[in-house]
Amino acid sequence: MAKLCLYFQLHQPYRLRPFSVFELNQDLNYFIEHKNGQPKDENAQIFRKVAQKSYIPMLSLLLDIATTHPSFCFALSCSGVFLEQAQAYQPEVISLIQRLTETGQVELLAETYYHSLASLYSPVEFRRQVEQHEELVQELFGYTPKVFRNTELIYANFIAQQVEQMGYMGMLTEAVDRYLGGRPRTQLYRSYTQPPLPLLLKHAQLSDDVAFRFSNKAWEEHPLTAEKYVHWLNSYYADEFINLFMDFETFGEHQWEDTGIFNFFRHFVDRSIQYDHHFVTPSTVLEPYALAAKSTESLPVYDVPDPISWADIDRDLTAWRGNSLQNDALRLVYSMEADVLKSGDAALVSDWRRVQTSDHFYYMCVKWSADGDVHKYFSPYDSPFEAYNRFSAVMIDLQDRIRQQQPAQTAD
Amino acid sequence: MRDTQHRVLMVGWEYPPHNSGGLGVACEGLTHALADTNANIFFTLPYRFSTAVTHMKVITCQNPAEVELALAGRPPFLAYSPSVVSPADFALKDSIELSALPQSEIEQRVNYYADQVLSAGKQLRQKYDLIHAHDWMAFPAAMKLQEKVKKPFIAHIHSTEMDRIPSGHGSHYIAHTEYLGMQRADRVIAVSNFTKRILIDKYHVDPKKIVVVHNGVTPASKLVNDELQFATKRPMIVFMGRLTAQKGAEYFLQLARAVVDQIPEALFVVAGHGDQYHSLLFQSAYQQLSASVLFTGFMRDHQREALLSRADVFVMPSLSEPFGLVALEAAQRETPVIVSENSGVKEMLTHSLKADFWDVEKMASYITELVTDPVFRAQVVTGQNEDLEHATWQNAADNVSKIYSKLLEKKS
Repeated sequence: MAKLCLYFQLHQPYRLRPFSVFELNQDLNYFIEHKNGQPKDENAQIFRKVAQKSYIPMLSLLLDIATTHPSFCFALSCSGVFLEQAQAYQPEVISLIQRLTETGQVELLAETYYHSLASLYSPVEFRRQVEQHEELVQELFGYTPKVFRNTELIYANFIAQQVEQMGYMGMLTEAVDRYLGGRPRTQLYRSYTQPPLPLLLKHAQLSDDVAFRFSNKAWEEHPLTAEKYVHWLNSYYADEFINLFMDFETFGEHQWEDTGIFNFFRHFVDRSIQYDHHFVTPSTVLEPYALAAKSTESLPVYDVPDPISWADIDRDLTAWRGNSLQNDALRLVYSMEADVLKSGDAALVSDWRRVQTSDHFYYMCVKWSADGDVHKYFSPYDSPFEAYNRFSAVMIDLQDRIRQQQPAQTAD
Repeated sequence: MRDTQHRVLMVGWEYPPHNSGGLGVACEGLTHALADTNANIFFTLPYRFSTAVTHMKVITCQNPAEVELALAGRPPFLAYSPSVVSPADFALKDSIELSALPQSEIEQRVNYYADQVLSAGKQLRQKYDLIHAHDWMAFPAAMKLQEKVKKPFIAHIHSTEMDRIPSGHGSHYIAHTEYLGMQRADRVIAVSNFTKRILIDKYHVDPKKIVVVHNGVTPASKLVNDELQFATKRPMIVFMGRLTAQKGAEYFLQLARAVVDQIPEALFVVAGHGDQYHSLLFQSAYQQLSASVLFTGFMRDHQREALLSRADVFVMPSLSEPFGLVALEAAQRETPVIVSENSGVKEMLTHSLKADFWDVEKMASYITELVTDPVFRAQVVTGQNEDLEHATWQNAADNVSKIYSKLLEKKS
């Protein structure tokens, strides 16, 4: 009889096309390759493929369930670069999300437009990207997000501070044992900041049972049925929150249709309702605190001095900045901020922001073992070194465009 | 064209297009020029050679029946057995790939080749008067054959194990094979005085037996300007070579760091592949050079020419370079060259700039000067053009012909 809070992440990066020394300084698109005059847009191909396998069938399923079960509700977070690509490559995805939001049973979350790591590097850029995202969500869905989730659930005290200042009523993040201690992840917490911000923490085990282990035949619980899963949920009390946060692509992409994932989800909702579990969304949970009907101060403190995330075994930032390739790439991107913005060149600004997407740095990760396997699965490139080389070439080209702007400005 | 025809059996190992280093290129240049001076050459290779060659007769020293068997398809698990060298794979190892194999496999391949050369050489014994073997892979074959047919044997040294593994901890087997070959040879050809010094000091070869014959370079086709319109906004400094300790790419990165501090827009291009690749990427990023150094991988043909032509400076910081053909190729394209003091090519490029491979400061100041002072640059290029007039394969072939004549005189 617990409260079930579902959130699914929709995101696709603009992957870099092959970019070599012979292509520098020729005003070429960093994301779409042209071969013999014909565009070879890998991003479009990937988006359409994933749309067929996951976005369209799962959004349709969610719409169907929402229609049959008025008490079913959930949250979605769509990065700006995802929404841009959906508009360009598969507009049906946008209209499905529109129809879902019209049911009133879907909450859209706030995040950075570019699914970036700006929260770690530039408070100003962070805020701008959050605002840009809010504008797009407003424009497409007539909806203003109230709760924030950061890229890959990255969180630390200083990020909560920034998010609170932007006026959001709360934030989603990961429950990391080294900071949670032995406390349950099924209650609300507050940030270790002044004023405090309420927090919902992901239930990693139950989330990953679906997201990562569902079709793993070596897992002792395989095959996972809705009955078994809901039976696990039954052991929680009515005042507990089970926060199931996962990638949207879990449904149809990471777990293919033939694993039975879609049927599982439908039955999971049916059974949950049968057993009196209660679906909630982040803003309905957090609203009483925002309205001061309940005291945020009275919530237990989740003190996170060093940033955490929902990635890899260690739930830290080493997926994006664990080696010198990543660190220098990030240093470069954010060192350009002032010059890029000063240029007033919209194309330059847009390219600079697109290369901030966290995936670019994720692809450069050289971890081994299970984490490495996961990274490899998600990477479009042959190796982390190829990812670095492409990024490096694009950085060189971007720098040259910035330098080109500068003499013109001194002339003014 | 001379009246008396030299009839030579050359024992080779690689020949373009199947080569990644300079040995194959040198064999091509030298045999062409020798053929022009009326030499009749049989050239043995350890693999089936499919390119049309008319200036000499290429002999495949590999059992054709085994090749057919290999192509017909063997049980795939044979590939996992370290004791079985598949003839098909045999064909695919150039000298650099060969020396990376386990010693037992190197010996097996080299000895197998020796047996094949012996049987071909015996059959042809009436048709040649001299045996001319290129580097250690060919020495066991040449020695076996010489023992049988009693004809003069010339050991041609393009590089030694002491160059390739500058730490001195190279393969004992390879160094010993080099030693035996040179002891048994009637003449030793060294590609430079630098190499001659090594042969005397490290291999104790009788100085009277060694003749220095510098390599030449094949005239280059000029690229049209259109082909050089890349990376136009930066001074470009190029390194081209295998990424191994021998070639000093690590010093090239240190150099990049020093120059970028002076000329922030300088672009350093590392063209090549090798076992230091990953380590160099990390070093580059660690030195914050991600937007100053670009790794291109191994380059061939047109891309290689374009890069050498476009370069504003070519640097060869080798720890030990017997010759260094690529420096000549850069000079041919009117690119100013900085060569290591530990190189053979510096004996030909008397007008190029020279520095110790470790003298980053000196190389950096040369680069700054070349990039900022067009007069100095023109002076270097003009000087190099003069040097190139002597750097022909015809000169090399004339010198080799003299050695042939002398050996034959002595014999008769």
